[in-house]
Amino acid sequence: MRNLLRLLLARHAAYVLVSGLLLGGFQWLICAVVASTDVTGALGTLVQSLPPMVQSMVSEQFFGGFSKTSLLAFGWAHPIAQAVGAGLAVVLATQAVAGESEAGTIELTLGQPIARHTYLAAHVVFAFAVLAFVTLAGLAGTLAGGRFYGLEPFRLAALARLGLDYLALQVALFGLALMFSTFGREGSRVALFGFLCALVSYLVHVIGTMWDGWALLVPFTLHAYYVPKDILVGGVGVARPVAILLAVALGGLLVAWGRFHRRDLP
Amino acid sequence: MPALEVADLAKRYGRVRALRGVSFALEPGEILGYLGPNGAGKTTTLRLVLGLARADRGSVRLLGQPPSRPASRERVGFLPGELRLHGGMTGHALLDHFARFRPARPPVLRERLLGALDLRGSDLSRRVKWLSHGTRQKLGLVIALQHDPDVVLLDEPTNGLDPLVQQGFCDLVRELAARGRAILLSSHVLSEVEAVCGRVAVLREGELLAVEQIGALRARLVRRLEARFRGPAPGGLATLPGVTRAEVAGSAVTLWLRGDVNPLLRRLAACEVEHLVFPEPQLEDVFLDLYRGRAGAG
Repeated sequence: MRNLLRLLLARHAAYVLVSGLLLGGFQWLICAVVASTDVTGALGTLVQSLPPMVQSMVSEQFFGGFSKTSLLAFGWAHPIAQAVGAGLAVVLATQAVAGESEAGTIELTLGQPIARHTYLAAHVVFAFAVLAFVTLAGLAGTLAGGRFYGLEPFRLAALARLGLDYLALQVALFGLALMFSTFGREGSRVALFGFLCALVSYLVHVIGTMWDGWALLVPFTLHAYYVPKDILVGGVGVARPVAILLAVALGGLLVAWGRFHRRDLP
Repeated sequence: MPALEVADLAKRYGRVRALRGVSFALEPGEILGYLGPNGAGKTTTLRLVLGLARADRGSVRLLGQPPSRPASRERVGFLPGELRLHGGMTGHALLDHFARFRPARPPVLRERLLGALDLRGSDLSRRVKWLSHGTRQKLGLVIALQHDPDVVLLDEPTNGLDPLVQQGFCDLVRELAARGRAILLSSHVLSEVEAVCGRVAVLREGELLAVEQIGALRARLVRRLEARFRGPAPGGLATLPGVTRAEVAGSAVTLWLRGDVNPLLRRLAACEVEHLVFPEPQLEDVFLDLYRGRAGAG
């Protein structure tokens, strides 16, 4: 397995590093924006010009009121933060089976004395490790940015819960994308499916949060269980949402496992 | 114990029957040619042998073990027909990467293979994606053979190799067999199989038509010879031993012969031959012959 991990690291190191820097840098930037301008005042003025119903929706649902803490939490719910993690999760899962099949390299690799479960486990271990790394890079950006700009510090426990929830969301996406990957032979198609899965979950969650007509769909999205505002502003625990996301990940991984053991390669 | 034993192997992809009850055995020290046109089922057989695909019926024993066990591939060397390598790695890194899969079997043959296949240090220090098709094929051969495997499975191994390197490769294969290694050489090129194999299994449309000694195959193969003479064609050629058919058109003669060519050559040597063509027998000739034999038997 170490040999496969080494190969994966060599292949994805640059992408992982860029993802980590992007997430960390983005969170730092959010701290800079919050500290250097009166964003809360500006947004408050802006929102006051909107109809009352929209005012309530925007201020409560997205920012939890316009405190600095809630704006920092919004940085973790922002589409850029979501896209960085989801992109990495989907790409790694796609490459693991469908991508390697399409490239034709999986035939020679599995012609060596490696069990299929070892091959898949190496990809899963690698993905979990790099997703954790990127999450830590993001948290480091929030911590360092907050200190640098003299913002009121988050409690470390709250940040740890936030990181755990973010990581669980990406792991769930990885599990689902890996499941698609073990059924597919074309990396691009599997990647498209994985990204669509993440996008639909995100959009349904956003629309369902704003519009009652779709509210009943919200619990069926992955993003309903990613709650940065509740963690950082409300101080709630993450045991339930993380458990649900990990259960989704586990389901995806089990299906992927079963399928990969039975499928013909490449 | 055979190094590789395939019994009644069948595989279907949707409506396509890729293999229909194929059986053969490969003994240590033997080079078995696995001959068939593209799409005959050669690559499918190799994938089933390595456990990359699952058979619908039949069994495979690789060094006495089922192919699903990774340990069965510890002493196997494999070159896929459609070789794809990790393009971002250098040649050196790639060889090391594949060597690390077998910590108990170091790449003892690597230097010897690099020399025989004319792979230079400059080739190995470049990224694989920048290498030519032929150089990548050579790398694939080194990957397959560097750990001195007991069983070697090669799918179209000379694909992209220049004639000189092909010769070096044939010498290598014979040397490995002489040291007791079992080699399955899959190919659609009859001359390649003829050059190195002791026995040949002929496959067509997923069906094994024959498994026999290469000499026996060669002996019953009907070959065509075209000659043009200075002056009229000599008489009596059709009655020479081995000549099954003759067509004469003025000074040109086309002959079909089976088995020993020497009686005919001796006869031709006594004539004033202006032009002589004795083309390599084609795979189709083998199939026609085998089908004719089957029809006769039926």
